[in-house]
Amino acid sequence: MSRYLVNKLMWEVDRSDEALARFKEDPAAFLHDWESLAERPVPPYPDGGHLTDIERAALGTRDYGALYAMGANPFLLWQFARSVSVPEEMSIEKLISSFREAVAPYGYPDFHT
Amino acid sequence: MAEIVGVLGVTHNPLMWASLRDTVPPDLAEVAANFERLRSQVAGLRPDVIVMVASDHFHMLTMANMPAFLIGKAPEMRAGHPNEKRVFGLEATMVPGDPGLGAHILGGSDLASGFDFSFSDEPWIDHSFLVPLLLLTPELDIPVVPVFSNCNAPPIPVAARFAALGSYLAEAIASFPSARRVLLVGSGHLAHELGGPRQFLGESPDPDFDEKAVSWMAGGDLQGAVASTSFLRLTEAGNESYQFLNFIACLAATGGRQAVMAEGTPTRFGNLPFFSWDMT
Repeated sequence: MSRYLVNKLMWEVDRSDEALARFKEDPAAFLHDWESLAERPVPPYPDGGHLTDIERAALGTRDYGALYAMGANPFLLWQFARSVSVPEEMSIEKLISSFREAVAPYGYPDFHT
Repeated sequence: MAEIVGVLGVTHNPLMWASLRDTVPPDLAEVAANFERLRSQVAGLRPDVIVMVASDHFHMLTMANMPAFLIGKAPEMRAGHPNEKRVFGLEATMVPGDPGLGAHILGGSDLASGFDFSFSDEPWIDHSFLVPLLLLTPELDIPVVPVFSNCNAPPIPVAARFAALGSYLAEAIASFPSARRVLLVGSGHLAHELGGPRQFLGESPDPDFDEKAVSWMAGGDLQGAVASTSFLRLTEAGNESYQFLNFIACLAATGGRQAVMAEGTPTRFGNLPFFSWDMT
């Protein structure tokens, strides 16, 4: 897993209203563009600066438990989750409880990059 | 010569700030009262400048370029980021700076301090600075020297390094040749979690840690604080508890004095820190 790349993507989605809107509209298209375009770190990071299939799937389906288990930065993960899931997908209360349920099995994974 | 006229350590919880904006909800009455108390204390101290130790939350600094400690030295700086407005309603604004004092703390022309700070001539502070400033000095009219510490992207400097930072800041401020009344403010958390299994519990994720943390400050126990705040122990307290280290810098800057105010005020956001040291 490239924790750095996953963190970077979550950060970029959360920091700009425009990126957030694009992600919400079509996560798969956003991820495709993000991996193909200039946002990738230069020089490339492991795996040529691309997300792994598992990372792409976890980001695209908002699988917060999987991202947490991989060692995504918890702060960035929560910011990302709140921004992409609330309010369209679920209420903040629902996100808080489902997020807790999703991450609890993994305890405190290492999140160094 | 500059002198430190007061040292404070406070919460910067943006959800707390948002909840206090209009009317004070009953469970935050004590928090509002504490801020009011500190606000009048600050007014009485008449500081010319605020040196503030806080931890950027991936707003200005990211893993693309993450310094351990960075001094902002600009005459004026942006405060508040777009996602903070979207999520917390925190409006972007400008805050005055003090580049002369910032440059002096950095070490002058030859980075002579031995602390090897990074620096920024264009600091852009986030809620970790702005929330305490809005609550302590609502007019935002006192120049700020922001000292950024990395408490969010491990590896995080060890507690002893934060103690050294505090001692260094005290020395550097005392050796600044121009007259300045300096307020030193640390911004952080007690036991706190975000993005982990214990977030939003409605109470502290680790009351035992909070009790000890408050007692280190009340007792001026710098050694105890440094010895008991390893990365692992802080993770046990909650995965956002690393920002407690900013208060260790404050305690060290006082030379290990007993805080005259030291409490973790219980709220739905956990126990919120309020520390104040009398420097007279």
